[in-house]
This record gives sequence, C-alpha cells and structure tokens, in this order.
Amino acid sequence: MIEVDRLTKRFGPVTAVDGLSFTVRPGHVTGFLGPNGAGKTTTMRLILGLDAPTSGTAQVNQKRYAELVRPLHQVGALLDATALAGGRTAWAHVASIAQSNGIGRRRVTEMLRLTGLEAVAGRRVGSFSLGMKQRLGIAVALLGDPPVLMFDEPVNGLDTEGIAWIRQFFKALAADGRTVLVSSHLMSEMAQTADHLIVIGRGRLLADVPTATLIESSTRRDVLVRSPRADELAGLMAARGATVTREDDGGLAVTGLDAPAIGDLAASRGIAVHALIPRSASLEDAYLDLTGESVEYRAPSQDGVPSR
Amino acid sequence: MTAADASPAPAPASAAQPAPAAVPSLTVRARDAVACEWTKFRSVRSTFWTLLVAVVTPVGFSAIVAVAISNQPAGAAPVDPLLPGFASLEYAVLAVSVLGVLGFSTEYSTGLIRTTFAAMPRRRVVLAAKAAVLGTVTLVAGELVAFASFFLAQAILSGHHLGLSLSTPGVAGAVLAEGLLLFVVAMLGLALGAIVRHTAGGIAAVVGLIFLPAIAGLLPAPWGGRVGRFTLLEAAHQVTALHPAANLFSPALSLLVLLAWPAAALLIAALAITRRDA
Repeated sequence: MIEVDRLTKRFGPVTAVDGLSFTVRPGHVTGFLGPNGAGKTTTMRLILGLDAPTSGTAQVNQKRYAELVRPLHQVGALLDATALAGGRTAWAHVASIAQSNGIGRRRVTEMLRLTGLEAVAGRRVGSFSLGMKQRLGIAVALLGDPPVLMFDEPVNGLDTEGIAWIRQFFKALAADGRTVLVSSHLMSEMAQTADHLIVIGRGRLLADVPTATLIESSTRRDVLVRSPRADELAGLMAARGATVTREDDGGLAVTGLDAPAIGDLAASRGIAVHALIPRSASLEDAYLDLTGESVEYRAPSQDGVPSR
Repeated sequence: MTAADASPAPAPASAAQPAPAAVPSLTVRARDAVACEWTKFRSVRSTFWTLLVAVVTPVGFSAIVAVAISNQPAGAAPVDPLLPGFASLEYAVLAVSVLGVLGFSTEYSTGLIRTTFAAMPRRRVVLAAKAAVLGTVTLVAGELVAFASFFLAQAILSGHHLGLSLSTPGVAGAVLAEGLLLFVVAMLGLALGAIVRHTAGGIAAVVGLIFLPAIAGLLPAPWGGRVGRFTLLEAAHQVTALHPAANLFSPALSLLVLLAWPAAALLIAALAITRRDA
C-alpha cells in the first residue's frame, strides 16, 4: 500500500507537487496519469525517498521509505530504464543491486530469465535497446519479490509484443495481491492496463476513480444539430424529452433523442436540417477534459485560441 | 517472448505480505553494501585500465628517473635517493584521483544513483562502502607501486653506490607513506565526485585541489613554507622524504595534513549526499 498525504514539493518558484493525497491499494493495477510535467515522476521520487518533500508525507506499508531496511523486499521501482552504466554487463548490474539487499545469485538468474534477458546476461547494457533496458529495469524491480511495485512510463520503447507482455505482467502482479502503480501520459494505454486511475495535473489531484467509472462518465453520446430554425426545433425536441444544449456557434447538442428521431421530427414539421451528426466522446476526451486546464506546456492552436 | 506465460514472481514467499525475515544487523547490511560496491567497481573496464596506468607508469618511470640520477656528473648536488619513487607517483596520483571521481560521478551522470539510493536509502552507508572498496584497492595498489618502484630504482642506483636498503632508518616509513598517497587522492576524488556530481567538473576539482596549491611554494621566503606546508603535495613530499625540509611541518604533522584533506572532503560529501535530492 502506498499512502501519499498532502505531499508538496517545490523546486524554487516551481511547485511540482501541490498538496497531493491519494492511496494506492493492493490487488489492483493503478494508473498514474497526467500530462508531461504534471509531477508524476517527482511524486514517485518522493515516495522512494530520493527527493525530500517540502511538506507532507509519503509512506509505503505504513513506513517512510528511509525507514525501510533492505527496501527492495518492500518496494520495487523502475523510474528510468536508461539510468545504467553502459560498460557493465546485465548480470553485473542486476547482481550488484541484488547484493545490496542480501539477495542471492539464483534470484538474479531467475529474474533475468523471467524478463527474457538470460541469453544476453553477459552483454554490456550499453548495447541494449530501450525495450531491453525496460526489461532489465523490471528484473531489478522484482528482485526482492516486493509487495509494492512502481513503474514510471514503462511502455516507452516497447514494441507491440512487449506492450502486450507488460500489460499481462502488471495484471498478474496485481492478481497476486501486490500494489502496482504505473505512470503514463497516455489515457488509451492506461484504459487497457489499469483498473483504477489517479489523474494529476500541475501537481494537483484531478481524479481518483475506478477506470470503469471514468469510462462510463465519458462515453456519453449526443447529436449535433444545425438548423436555420434552431430555436423552434429545440423547443420541439425538448417537448419530446430531449436535453438540448446550445453551443457557441449556434449548433444544438442533443441528448435523449437519436439522430433518426430528430431527423423525422424535423421533417414532419418541415424544418430544414443542415447538420445531424451523432457524436461520442472517447475516454481520451474525458482525459483531455480533466487535464485540459492543467497542461503545462501547450502548443497554441492555429487561431491562437487554446484548443480543448 | 514466452515470459508472459510464466508467473511473474517465482518466489517462495507469498507476495501480499511484506518481507518477513528478521531485521539484518548493521554488520550484515554494511557487508551487503560493500559487496554491491565491489561488484560495481570490478565490473567496469575503466577500473582495470586506470589501475593498470596507476601501477605500470610509476614503476617504469621511477626506473627512468633512477637511471637519470645515476648518470649525474660526480659534482652535482646530492639527490634524495627516494626521489625516483615519489616523482613517478604523480602520474598514478592523476589516474587514481580520476578513478575516485568516477566512483560517484558516473552514477550521478547516468542516473544510476537513484537506483543505488533506492536500494540503500542510508546514503552514508553507500559512501562508506564505496570508500571501503576504493580505499582497500588503492592502498594495496599504492603500496605495491611504492615498493616495486623502490626496489627497481635502488637496484639501478646501487650499481652507482647511491642505493639504500629498507633497513636504513626512515626508509621503510617513507616508502610506506608513499604508498599511502594513492589512497589519499582516491578518497579525495571520491568525495569530490559526490560533491560535484559531474565527471568533468569533479576531475577539474580534484586536479585543482591537488596540484594548484603547489603555487604556494613559489611565495616569497617565509611564506612559501608557511602556506605550502598545508598543501597536499608538500605534505606528501615531507612524509616521503628521507631528509625532510626544515621549513615545513614535521613528517608526523605532515601525515596529519595529508589525511586531513580526504577526511574533510569525505565529511562534506557525507553532508552533501544526504541533504540534496538525488
């Protein structure tokens, strides 16, 4: 279990993590979502005791990380797969970290086999592809058989096969009763991997919900209607129980009536319809809605107005 | 890729509970840390090459200096017969101090330090373990170099009736102290690597600290010695000289000065690594 309580981290004038509180529970894959620069990596570093919080606390299994003895038996983490000394072999890299926590050679071999790196254990890691480095980082994270696991953007650099493998892997870890926190900036990725989502933006908590709930709330559908007699048509649709929302450009967003019903209704009254477009918001849209206000660096849209 | 079929953690212990096992003693944890750092130390090629340079160059160079001394014209000023060993050590000093810097700077520049500190949250233990590994190796290498240089140089000089033996008073101590110099600069380098956190900056810092203060020796009469006796190289020179200079500290005090440099640097390093974000 990971518990973060009013965690704040400031770097000079920049507040990277801003009063963040959440709990990551065992038995689930929890997605840690947010745009680039939202504070995901900083939060993970704070949990691992690598950075000192400005205020607030982060605890793993009811203890501050610094208090853990042989912490690899409690928490396995992969922050940056490329953080390697390139001249060292895969075996030496994993073995040295294992030794630091009293973990034996057999476990090192097992983890290299599990991540499919046994055949290249004697190769220098500098020659590894990003995908292989990710696997190596996972091997290290699993060394101590920890009940809590954290992965920062683990699918970066993996091919399709690798992504499928890692998804199964996270699910198996969670099914085993472990706490699994996986960060990503891609909603679509998390929707397929995580069953709970913690969404942050600019260091603040935006949502802490089961993935299913977010999908449900975001899959609302509506129909966009344009008509020269929009007001009249809006009244007619409302009378049939539809909810009509007028959009800025004069279009009508209609829920409660589907496109054929609206078309038939308009035809029966002789009202011209210029557009009749069924729309559905994707999970990605829901994510953008959530984080739209909190994106730190954004390319301006073409007319200079921030796009949503 | 068939790993997906395998259970993610083929470990005997059930995952849901935190690791059982009694809390290992501090001794055990220190041993773990040293084992880890020893594996890291010997598993990169730079270690091997640096040590090779540190051992081979001074031994060879001391032979050359010895030959040069033995070829001096008869009327030339007498030379300290231990000079070949000491003069040639400067190359090893350069190599070994860089090796020290690399001990931390490569971990910081690659980001590996975060993996290290996540595995060993007590950062001073990491510093101590690195110092133990590097210190042992450089002490052994240093003494090896010192005695090998001594015997080789004296073998050459003895043919010219300039040779000394280890049993001559003061000689054994001076050669031992010579061997200590590599340990001293290795520790200084390690500390500066942790403080500066960049390889190039760390090397600049350690080379600067070792060699730049030598300028003090050029100060006018009383001041050259008064300031110079605090510098690392003058202290080392004094400790390893058969006939210590009169205007510097005594050899015993110079030994303290020599050891104070790395001690102070390691102290600052210990503060720096625990107070800064990794």
